[in-house]
Amino acid sequence: MPETRRLLPALHTRSEPVSRERLTERGFDRAMERMLSMQPEDIIAEVKASGIKGRGGAAFPTGIKWAGVHAAAGGTRYVVMNADESELGTFKDRVLLEQDPLGALVGVLIAAHAVRARKAYCYIRGEYREVEQRLAAALTILAECGWVGPDAVDVEIRRGAGAYIAGEETALLNSIEGKRAEPRVKPPFPTNHGLWGAPTLIQNVETMANVAVLFAHDVQWFKECGTPETPGTKLIGLSGYVRHPGVYEVPFGYPMTNIIHDEDLGGGLSGSERLRAILLGGAAGTFMAPEEVEASLLDYGSLSRYGASIGSGALMVFDDTVDLTWVLKKLARFFADESCGQCVPCRIGTRRILELLDQEGLKTRAEDLRELALAMRDASICGLGQTAPVALLSILDRPERQGA
Amino acid sequence: METDKNAVAERVSRLMETVPKDRGQLLPALWRVFEEYQRIGPEMIEAVSNAMNIPYAEVFGVASFYALFDNAAGHRPIYVCTDVLCALKGSEDLLAVGEDAAQGAAVALKESPCLGHCDGAPAMFDGHRTVRNATRASLMAMIRGESHA
Repeated sequence: MPETRRLLPALHTRSEPVSRERLTERGFDRAMERMLSMQPEDIIAEVKASGIKGRGGAAFPTGIKWAGVHAAAGGTRYVVMNADESELGTFKDRVLLEQDPLGALVGVLIAAHAVRARKAYCYIRGEYREVEQRLAAALTILAECGWVGPDAVDVEIRRGAGAYIAGEETALLNSIEGKRAEPRVKPPFPTNHGLWGAPTLIQNVETMANVAVLFAHDVQWFKECGTPETPGTKLIGLSGYVRHPGVYEVPFGYPMTNIIHDEDLGGGLSGSERLRAILLGGAAGTFMAPEEVEASLLDYGSLSRYGASIGSGALMVFDDTVDLTWVLKKLARFFADESCGQCVPCRIGTRRILELLDQEGLKTRAEDLRELALAMRDASICGLGQTAPVALLSILDRPERQGA
Repeated sequence: METDKNAVAERVSRLMETVPKDRGQLLPALWRVFEEYQRIGPEMIEAVSNAMNIPYAEVFGVASFYALFDNAAGHRPIYVCTDVLCALKGSEDLLAVGEDAAQGAAVALKESPCLGHCDGAPAMFDGHRTVRNATRASLMAMIRGESHA
């Protein structure tokens, strides 16, 4: 099956990614005009009706989040687009912003009007300098249209400086406030108590782009793709041992194995052409065995049967020459390096996992590893520490997959 | 040394002229300093602290938190991604080769966590530009500072 390109511009799109013509060709000018004629309550109702869920990993219903910020007390509100894409194996926001930066930004403006925010931030990782330039150029176009600026919505690009943890929403807020990017204890949630204590809506780039294409069309069109539970499409960052690594847009409910094998998508396995496992969702993702991949659809319900989730949309493919224990050590090093050190379960736990794996503890200390993993899951402040052992647990749960 | 410190203070305070003096602008302020010096040393932290009216310890705490500011010698950084997908495509060997070549050149060759270019592994980044599908030749060109590696 060919891609279902909605968030990504169709292959025959003629206009330049950063141009007035692109706004027209993609229907984003129509989206802006339609949105500006609506009341905030009606914008939020439409987002709710579309069934969009957050695409950053947590899959929280977007309309409900918007309603929460809208209803929160306080005069000043903020919108934040999280483009701090640093999850291992994840690159879909980069490709989306390279190919169609105006879409995500139009989503930001729609969000700002819905929650009555006059100020928005786009937080982008410091390693995406080329993408940042493109975002800045796109903002200039939107300012020329009168949609961005001091009299409309002021949008500021904020450059990260190399910290995976800054992608965690409350850490990102601290980073914008000029503090160390350390996560906050939740609750209170950013919807009520975000930037400088004000109600703040924070969404992933892909979620914002979904909102833009929704308003360029309508709810019925939006729901023509995907499943009743999860309407729409998902960007998948496909990497590793496939013929055509890249970002592909597929409807929710699509067979997982087809993402790897379809001629217009991954094009099949490369390397030894024998699949050992996939790692789905990033460094904090789940290893899935070939038969599990074969039996799964790209949707939260289907994947949850194997304890897996779509996460950031990273799909890493490993052939049978790859030693998964080596991959686990790489992931453990990643988390040990990226833990902010604020809370003990994560600071010590990520380091201990790395040490145990380096001492071949996967075989000899499996129960200790499991106990440590569960303590981290239960007691860490934020998602990093809570999910750092997820991939490890998925291997402990599949002992037959450990060998190289 | 005192003259150096004064020169830094003066240069940093000029850099800060157009930065609003509020705490929320600390990260952009640090970026300005880093872009100027390719490092953020104690004298720059003190200058930022004075210009922005933020305690030295707070500025130090923030500056030292971020990996991209960790470049003590002020040499041009080159980051080679050695995370899972890039390592599978030989980036660790690439790094080893680069380390020999980088000796004597005014560059700081560093291992990097995932750079977000797994579909173009191995990837490397010089602080401004990313090179995908990196090879020995493109790494050598980057070390030599050629603009179109």
